[in-house]
Amino acid sequence: MSNGANKPAMNIITRSYKHGSIIYFEGDRSDVIYILKAGKVVLTSIKIDTGEELKENIKLGEFFGVKSAIGRYPREETAQTIGDTTVLVVSRADFEKMMIKNVSMVTKMLRVFSNQLRRITNMQREILGQSDGINPASELFKIGEYYFKSGNLQQAKYAFKRYLEHYPGTKFSELALQRINTIDTGGSNTDFSSDDSMENSKENVSSKRAESSVDLTDFSIDDSSDNENINIGSTHAPSKEMDDFFSDGDDGLLDDSGFGTTEQKSFIKQKDITEMFYEAVSLFSQERYKDALAIFQKILNIKTLKNESENKIFEKAHFEIGRCYLKINDFKEAVNYLSTMIKKFPKSDNVKNAFLHIGMAFEMAGRKDKATAYYDKVVSMEPNDSVTKQAQKRLKSIENTGKK
Amino acid sequence: MILDDKLFEKFGVEYAPNEIIFCEFEPGNEFYFIQSGKVKIVKIINNTEKTLDILEAGEIFGEMAILEEEPRSASVIAMGNVKLFRFHRDNFETILNGNPQLAYKLLMIFAKRIYDQKRRLMILLLEEPQLKVMDVFNMLAEQDPHLDLQEAVTLKATAQDISSWGGMQLKDVQKVLHNLNQLGKIELFNDKVIVKNIRDFQRVVASKRKNLYS
Repeated sequence: MSNGANKPAMNIITRSYKHGSIIYFEGDRSDVIYILKAGKVVLTSIKIDTGEELKENIKLGEFFGVKSAIGRYPREETAQTIGDTTVLVVSRADFEKMMIKNVSMVTKMLRVFSNQLRRITNMQREILGQSDGINPASELFKIGEYYFKSGNLQQAKYAFKRYLEHYPGTKFSELALQRINTIDTGGSNTDFSSDDSMENSKENVSSKRAESSVDLTDFSIDDSSDNENINIGSTHAPSKEMDDFFSDGDDGLLDDSGFGTTEQKSFIKQKDITEMFYEAVSLFSQERYKDALAIFQKILNIKTLKNESENKIFEKAHFEIGRCYLKINDFKEAVNYLSTMIKKFPKSDNVKNAFLHIGMAFEMAGRKDKATAYYDKVVSMEPNDSVTKQAQKRLKSIENTGKK
Repeated sequence: MILDDKLFEKFGVEYAPNEIIFCEFEPGNEFYFIQSGKVKIVKIINNTEKTLDILEAGEIFGEMAILEEEPRSASVIAMGNVKLFRFHRDNFETILNGNPQLAYKLLMIFAKRIYDQKRRLMILLLEEPQLKVMDVFNMLAEQDPHLDLQEAVTLKATAQDISSWGGMQLKDVQKVLHNLNQLGKIELFNDKVIVKNIRDFQRVVASKRKNLYS
């Protein structure tokens, strides 16, 4: 790609079309670019936010089909001729050669592209809007915390420094300074064996990159700057903020890392119930029913549920356990859990489905009479949904086998 | 493609292994061209560092800074000794005029990015969570032209990925996945999803999208 001297000359094809011809359709994949030589071409596309049809006339001498050809994706518009029309067809490689000889054309296109991109990202932002109230300052600090806790001190220091540089005087400024101090004095954390830059990291880093480093001495912290061993677990750390970060869940790192040894030791956070549930669901779908069952059972042992959605998961776990037992042919346990669920959560959305599965358990256990009764029950329940249909299907198949 | 070494005096920067080049959420005004070495693009997601991509010599990163100063959307870390060119937005035009190949490369990156972001916008414009998730699968399937859409397709994605593409809460995504799984339409794994009939998802989304407009 560095020079094109030994490549064959450009191969430009001239192509003529009658009125109303389609040069390409939306959705076509192709790597050629067109230039309008004579006649008229209209591009028709659909505006993605409104579904409106957009029409654009190509001027003589103008390129079209560029973005999809060089971005290697399907055409986003349909190109049609009006009147007799002649176009030049250029391959992607030849287009590149042409462009490299004409930088001002490229920068012009770049400007157009970047405006389009800006418009799209703005629209995205509008839609996502309120939902992502992310504060870049504290997020940047949190990244420092992540690397700090995982023992990547050099990276942690970078993030803390940038935090102080770009967002001075914000919520975690003091803490960030303390962290940097801790790192500089080697007062923390795990082994960073091969990383000699920790000894005198300030010099090392700044000599490599001209503008990069913030002069740390500029930030004066009066009472703790001469403390050789600022320990995160010590009284220097504002405890409230510490708690925020410690509750993030990576507690495994805490115990032997030199901080938090006194106060935080016994703090072991339960794996999130939602995570557990979906891990189990995932196992179920891989047909690892026993593994799934074990996790669902653990969920039932959780004593404290924090909110409505956790209650829901707790309830669903009963149902899923029933399904697991059904899969491993333990019909008795299946019925047991499913009926417990119905008793405990009579208003649950899953009640009807639970009845269906009880029916299935009986059917699989050879008790067609009981199965039929449960399927009948399901069919009688509103609304008429996919569960109803499944029950009807099962009833029919029992009926059919009965006839044989 | 390698840039002229003479430029290096003015715009060259070197990084040692594991050094951060820029960090997610810090404001950015520069884009970078890799002259030699490798860098990894990472994000901290759910308290784990996740590598999104690895870039090598001749590749560009941080190009969104050309548009405006915005927090970086990911961190970039040197994987070994790395030589980079760092170009500030202010002297962008001068640089490009002197380096047509670099300019063309940027043009290709932007073309691709416009398409990808438009595609994402189409997903975001859908209202129901289930449709969004289905359309994320459609998008992933489109990205691999070698897939046989008549068959079950395996798509590399986690619930977390889907939630960020679809702009949805993780738990909403999980709910939908659970539901589709129960209906037998998909199979869930830790890092991938098997969609049994992607054509079906394409049809559902296409018809809903039509209704959305009318």
